[in-house]
Amino acid sequence: MREIVYDVFARKDRGDQLVHIGYVDAFDDETAKVYAWKTYDEEKWFEMCIVERSAIIPVNHDDGVFAKARRIAG
Amino acid sequence: MSDALDPAKMGTADKAALERLILTLADSKRLMGIRYSDWLLGAPSIETGIAASSMAQDEWGHARLLYSMLKDMGIDPGPVEHDRQAEEYASIGSLDEEMPDWAALVAAIVLVDGAISVVLSSFATGSFESARGRVPKMLSEEEFHSSLGAAWYRRLAAAGGEAKELLTAATKSILPPTLAWVGAADDSTGRMVAAGVIAPAEDRLATFRGAAREFTALVGIDIDAVDATPEWDGARGRTPGHPNEEAVQRARGDLNRALFVE
Repeated sequence: MREIVYDVFARKDRGDQLVHIGYVDAFDDETAKVYAWKTYDEEKWFEMCIVERSAIIPVNHDDGVFAKARRIAG
Repeated sequence: MSDALDPAKMGTADKAALERLILTLADSKRLMGIRYSDWLLGAPSIETGIAASSMAQDEWGHARLLYSMLKDMGIDPGPVEHDRQAEEYASIGSLDEEMPDWAALVAAIVLVDGAISVVLSSFATGSFESARGRVPKMLSEEEFHSSLGAAWYRRLAAAGGEAKELLTAATKSILPPTLAWVGAADDSTGRMVAAGVIAPAEDRLATFRGAAREFTALVGIDIDAVDATPEWDGARGRTPGHPNEEAVQRARGDLNRALFVE
């Protein structure tokens, strides 16, 4: 079955920048949320969110990792 | 929400009933943790194994908090956690043996971990103060367990073939002892219902069946037509039998006795 790459973003405190902390492979949004929360649990995050890598639109590097993901998904 | 219960003012029979309730919840959590841990390295993906590892730790943390509630009744949880024999464990009968395949663990997450959460939800809003304070955090952590189990159950059921066959077999095996445990209605449980500590058996069963119905239907099982295991061990509040010896040795921490820090 197809697995989807999700990038994981989080911030430790309310006023912090949301930063990219890693990625997970999952088969849908629900499992991706569980995997992200359980894999990157070294901090007590104020907020964590995930986004399908194929949904990220590259701005200045057409050959970057996110652009490649979009080409594969598209 | 019921008025707070004072364990110091409880009669002997009510105290014994509360002790049995706490033990069956704590032992079930501990065994559920072991069943998650059995799959740390055999899960279908690295992410799933990490999730199982984290959930095993969640379950053991929950068990620890539940055992510590025995202090409210003047019982030292140390010997309870580390010195009992397998025959004394009050864990839910469907956790007695290792889950033979990933599909069985998925069924256990949805049905057994789910059943424990149903009883804990009732415990969290009852009259026992320690449960009101400590159980809501457990239930919040359990939401991730529930999401993982639900997603995998649906995936395996939709896959058909061997995956669905294994899921079906596990569901059939798990349901009868689990229904008996959720729907416990003996004298001891009746005392806890009367004291407002947990909800009546019919309410617990209705909640459990309501949550599980959509999943068991995916493998062609009508949960309303499944009978609970009729045999019952009233001393422990579970169906007859006990967890396998290897699991109990791990639950007691037999290999680490020299390192215990309390």
